[in-house]
Amino acid sequence: MTVVWSWWASGFALAALMLGHWLLTGRMFAVSGRYTAIVDRVRQGAPVEPTLSDAEMIEAIRVMTAEQLGPDAVTPAGRAPLSEPVVKRALPWTVHLAFLGAVLVGGLASALLPGGPGLLREFGGAAFARIFGGHNGTELLALLVGGLLVGAGTRMAGGCTSGHGLCGVSRFQRGSLVSTFTFFGAGIVVSMVLSRLAA
Amino acid sequence: MMHARFAAIGVAFGFALSRTGFSSWERTHAMFTLRDLHLVFAFAMAVGLLAVGWLAVQAFSREKPEWAPRNIHRGTVLGSVLFGTGWAISGACPSVALVQLGEGQLGAAFTLAGIFVGNYAYATARERWLHWNTGSCVDD
Repeated sequence: MTVVWSWWASGFALAALMLGHWLLTGRMFAVSGRYTAIVDRVRQGAPVEPTLSDAEMIEAIRVMTAEQLGPDAVTPAGRAPLSEPVVKRALPWTVHLAFLGAVLVGGLASALLPGGPGLLREFGGAAFARIFGGHNGTELLALLVGGLLVGAGTRMAGGCTSGHGLCGVSRFQRGSLVSTFTFFGAGIVVSMVLSRLAA
Repeated sequence: MMHARFAAIGVAFGFALSRTGFSSWERTHAMFTLRDLHLVFAFAMAVGLLAVGWLAVQAFSREKPEWAPRNIHRGTVLGSVLFGTGWAISGACPSVALVQLGEGQLGAAFTLAGIFVGNYAYATARERWLHWNTGSCVDD
């Protein structure tokens, strides 16, 4: 029998992972942006590597600013000169790919390790089969269409269940609160309708 | 090294989603039809703990962490409606499709392909016709 964690243990594990992600990497946990990074790598090809290092770039900007606006503009009285890069460098796309691959491995581990169901052979269960009509092409078409909506929608909304839902809502971000209420609302309406139609 | 660190978190995250029940289409459907709130409670528990966690991070950091704000923009509502609809149909948010595939639910390969194509198609559509910037969910 498959072991499913209690809701409070699950919540604890998910929260610990998001906080751990921040503490270990200095970045917010967000998954749909990783798809975007990989897709953009495919769309745009290899990025142009900057020829200057961050330090050289900052020095060049400092010199140009001083030339145009005078030396006071670059080192205001009482402020330490700029030394750290202000904008975080984007992660290499291979990091995003490694993360997504690792999530898949996590699912495999959960299936095979003690407490797991073993490797599942079929997608979904009774309700999925009832709604999308047994094991034929309709089921796969539904998954494809659903995936298309998830891919386009999360990019359009600028986040998904992790970036908006968990990490955004817990920081009381307005965009995340609106997004999360909206996607849960849409999910409820659509599922209720699907359930009724199949009944 | 950096790859290993992200990958370690990814494996643990995939495992946790699976053992929470998020990778089950049936449980997701039960959540959305409000027949079983297990997943909602897990989600709410995580949000509550994270809210406390971020406050602690801010209180104990030497420098105040800089987190990009997540504001409302023109894509927020419509994008979220599309996402919620897709989640209800496929039973997958972006990470869950991968978890399902790892568990051996091979149908999720169609969901995964859809996510990549949908992301790509929206980026192209926005560039050609919409001309708005909806920000990005990437690690800020």
